[in-house]
Amino acid sequence: MMTINDKKHLARGLAWFGAIFSLVVSVMLIANYFQLKSVDPLESPALKVLVEQLHENPHDDVLKENIRALDLMIRKAYFTSQWQIRTGTWMLILGVLVLILSIRWQKSLRNELDELESIDKNPFLDKQLARKGVIYTALGIFMLALLSGFLSGNILDQYDSTKGQDQEADSAVEIIVAKPVEQNSETIADSSKSVSMQEKTSDEIVEVPINEELDKKEEIESKSEEVKKIKSEPTVPSREQIRKNYPFFRGPDGDGMSYKTGVPKSFDGPNVKNVLWKASVPKHGYNSPIIWNDRLFLTGADSEARMVYCFDKNSGKLLWESAADNIPGSPAKMPKVTEDTGLAASTMATDGQAVFAIFATGDLIALDFEGKRLWAKNLGVPDNHYGHSSSLVIYKNKLLIQYDTNKGGKLIALSTADGSQKWETTRNVKISWASPVLVNTGTRDEIILTADPLVAGYDPETGKELWTVECMMGEVGPSVAYANGLVYAANEYATMAAIRLGGSPEIIWEEQEYLPEVASPLAANGLLIVATSYGVLACYDAETGDKYWEHEAASGFYASPVYADSNAYAIDMSGKMYVIRMAKEFELVAESNLGEKAFGTPVFSEGKLYLRGVENLYCIGGN
Amino acid sequence: MKKRLIKLTLLIFFICLAVTSFAQQQRFPKPEFETGYVQPPTQQPLPRALFLEYLDVIVLIGALILVSWFLLKKRSRQGVLWTSVFSLLYFGFYREGCICAIGSIQNVALAIFDPTYTLPLTALLFFLIPLITALFAGRTFCAGVCPLGAIQDLVAFKPIELPRWLQKVLGLIPYVYLSLAVLYAATRSEFLICRYDPFVGFFRFDGTFQMLLLGGLFLLVGVFVARPYCRFFCPYGVLLGWMSSFSKKHVTITPSTCIQCKLCSNSCPFGAIEEPLLEEGKRRSNVNRLMTYLILIPIWMGIGGLSGSMLHGTLAKFNKTVYLAEMLVQNPDIRFNQENIDARTFMQKGKTMDELVVDAQKIKSQFYWGGWIAGAFMGLVVGLVLVNLSSYRRRNDYEPDRTNCLSCGRCVDYCPVK
Repeated sequence: MMTINDKKHLARGLAWFGAIFSLVVSVMLIANYFQLKSVDPLESPALKVLVEQLHENPHDDVLKENIRALDLMIRKAYFTSQWQIRTGTWMLILGVLVLILSIRWQKSLRNELDELESIDKNPFLDKQLARKGVIYTALGIFMLALLSGFLSGNILDQYDSTKGQDQEADSAVEIIVAKPVEQNSETIADSSKSVSMQEKTSDEIVEVPINEELDKKEEIESKSEEVKKIKSEPTVPSREQIRKNYPFFRGPDGDGMSYKTGVPKSFDGPNVKNVLWKASVPKHGYNSPIIWNDRLFLTGADSEARMVYCFDKNSGKLLWESAADNIPGSPAKMPKVTEDTGLAASTMATDGQAVFAIFATGDLIALDFEGKRLWAKNLGVPDNHYGHSSSLVIYKNKLLIQYDTNKGGKLIALSTADGSQKWETTRNVKISWASPVLVNTGTRDEIILTADPLVAGYDPETGKELWTVECMMGEVGPSVAYANGLVYAANEYATMAAIRLGGSPEIIWEEQEYLPEVASPLAANGLLIVATSYGVLACYDAETGDKYWEHEAASGFYASPVYADSNAYAIDMSGKMYVIRMAKEFELVAESNLGEKAFGTPVFSEGKLYLRGVENLYCIGGN
Repeated sequence: MKKRLIKLTLLIFFICLAVTSFAQQQRFPKPEFETGYVQPPTQQPLPRALFLEYLDVIVLIGALILVSWFLLKKRSRQGVLWTSVFSLLYFGFYREGCICAIGSIQNVALAIFDPTYTLPLTALLFFLIPLITALFAGRTFCAGVCPLGAIQDLVAFKPIELPRWLQKVLGLIPYVYLSLAVLYAATRSEFLICRYDPFVGFFRFDGTFQMLLLGGLFLLVGVFVARPYCRFFCPYGVLLGWMSSFSKKHVTITPSTCIQCKLCSNSCPFGAIEEPLLEEGKRRSNVNRLMTYLILIPIWMGIGGLSGSMLHGTLAKFNKTVYLAEMLVQNPDIRFNQENIDARTFMQKGKTMDELVVDAQKIKSQFYWGGWIAGAFMGLVVGLVLVNLSSYRRRNDYEPDRTNCLSCGRCVDYCPVK
């Protein structure tokens, strides 16, 4: 039988045990903690060396295995330490619990009451002292608060909303790489080659010697000033300005109508006939050029970088290139795309003040005409098994993006000024690769999209769906054509439908004989031309769907035909360009050979034709 | 000497506890090379089943009834103590400190000021039930149901008595904390009480270094200054104190006649026993003082309101939107800094600076008016405390201070009158 003294001794002993046990565990835990802190497994020098080696030799499987083994070992050590800490924590809690309970037990075994050490009290004086204490404390707190208010300025007052975008642009200057490229145009880079070309083609090629660089720079700078002037005017370009330039995929409205006359009809790429200049494009892309004033823009991309290129359209000089990098949300690993789509299939767009580019990563970038980033954002990596290819188009101050992916379709409008979302319309469609087309029906502006299963019109101002016609199916690549109130939508293995717009849009005819896979149809002069991927050009009556003629080309068409100066311009995949009179009777005006494969649509500006081959960019002049 | 050793040992324990648990916060990033391994989707814990939420409410009510019964009927300190141990295990370690009546203040405040926020019924019940109980039986919630109180009570080994003036001054802190907690919740800025809950790290065996250190310090101080968080920080204690002041059946020290042995006063580690009091000094000057402090209340409120409004800029900096806007206005380049997660998130949202600044200004405006109200409230509190300290109510026996008494039952245990 334990006496009260025995119990007291036991309680004291337990308390000491608990205290010493907890102390030992604590010391071990602290040591473990500092060991873990000092040896960060991710900073392991051995692992770093191996990773460096892997970067240099990415296909070394033995090295990979070694890294895995070392990584596993380090992780095991790390997690063992963590397990030790967890277990130690529990042991510590147990020790502290024993200590607390022992002390409590020990106290309860005492006979005497546990009284507080009494302090002198005088209610009257205590209250007097408390009043003083409260007053001084309260005044102190309030004074500190007032002082804090006086000393802290309102930082938000420094923000000038009218300069908001300028601030953004200025801030981007130091960060964004927009480097002028000194020697990229073939005519500049290889003067001897230029000379030889000159010999072959008499006076048709313009040589830009290296010693003219400085002059060119000055010229560019003066042009920059002009561009800045334009930029400072936040006006939406007029329809005339837009039609004078070539701001979108398939022309000023995105429907294949170029509104250009007096453009070249024939050339010979290999023999450099009518080729004013030829410039290599550093990175590959299936997008077509766009042009505003003297500047031509296009994009290229590979797994290393997504680039925007700006060329002088008169000389072919690469003025600057800008990387679409450091974009929040941009995937570290490139999405899987097929060879025939790539990462830069979408054509850029411009409003004359900024250029906009989108890539298969979902990265969207806005640059000024000097290559300085205005804004950039990632729209979310599009779930697209070939690669995103829908091109951009601008309506007033809105950048319109058709974003039909495997995870749902939507039409997005962003502010051209800052990328903020103006509106977004969800589309009940499957994935598509087509691009939006701007249409003025005579009564209103519409943006027309096609995908499986809908051809649909939207109000570009609000994104409201205006009409839909269910007629399309499959993996829709071609965009729509439009003329005289009729929308033409087509897709291979599906149909070609002519839809009359109006109160209740309806299909007036359908045709399935020749259907395009990638190239968009072209409607002009009461005719409709389709270019198939198996190399047939076919012409139909736009009102009735009656076929007038067909013509077999050397190769299939991915590039969309465009209309200029009463002719249809179509370039096939082998690089052969066909200029065909837009008439009921087939008349081949000219046939030319670029000399390399081509997928971009022909582009026109100021009497010149611009073509993008897989390697080079061409300016065609002459006839 | 031995007691000192024990205290020293305790100090080391709590510091160690805080330091070691901090190590558990580290996380591993992904491996640096391709392995074909696909990261599993992020798992989010499911909300607690509804019937379990109601079980919490039932346990709360049961524990409150039990403590009240032990205190008012059985007059048993042991009963209260063991109920508090149960509450510590259930609401503390099992429920990991959440749901919590103290934190429910913020839910209620947010629900009042934000119509889009749906106040969970259990949060409302956890807010109301202890208050209603306090209205009848005093702060029995503090005595045996609050896990934060229980963990502190267990380590109050050697409490010392604090001077009355110091208790009064420190007693202003809970009002400041309450004002700030409501202000931050109402402006949708932060749940301040939850963020700075000192003991939740222990309940969850996990927490930031600062949280565990804070908890360790509170427990360490709590060895000598009993229940420091409850007395000098707890914002819910303010509301419970108000309710308890009007409690009908508050625990009495003695069941019959007080023999003025003073044991109760020496037993109370919270300084919550009012001693017998006779008015001192001249009656007229006492009345004049009281009247002066009464008249000064509006002035205190004005000064407080002005101070609160002046402080709004500083207070608003803790709001994430205001913080981000000010950071980006001062350093626009940060927007492109990939390392800055706030800036990166802002850029991803596609929001413009104009919109951000407008939002931040709206929030600052809310803080401005909230600062006025909170400051005026603090002025009112200061004024009323001074009035209270200037009034004399004759008292013949030792009585519990109903506002500050935590109803722990120690005085009942010590009272020789049975």
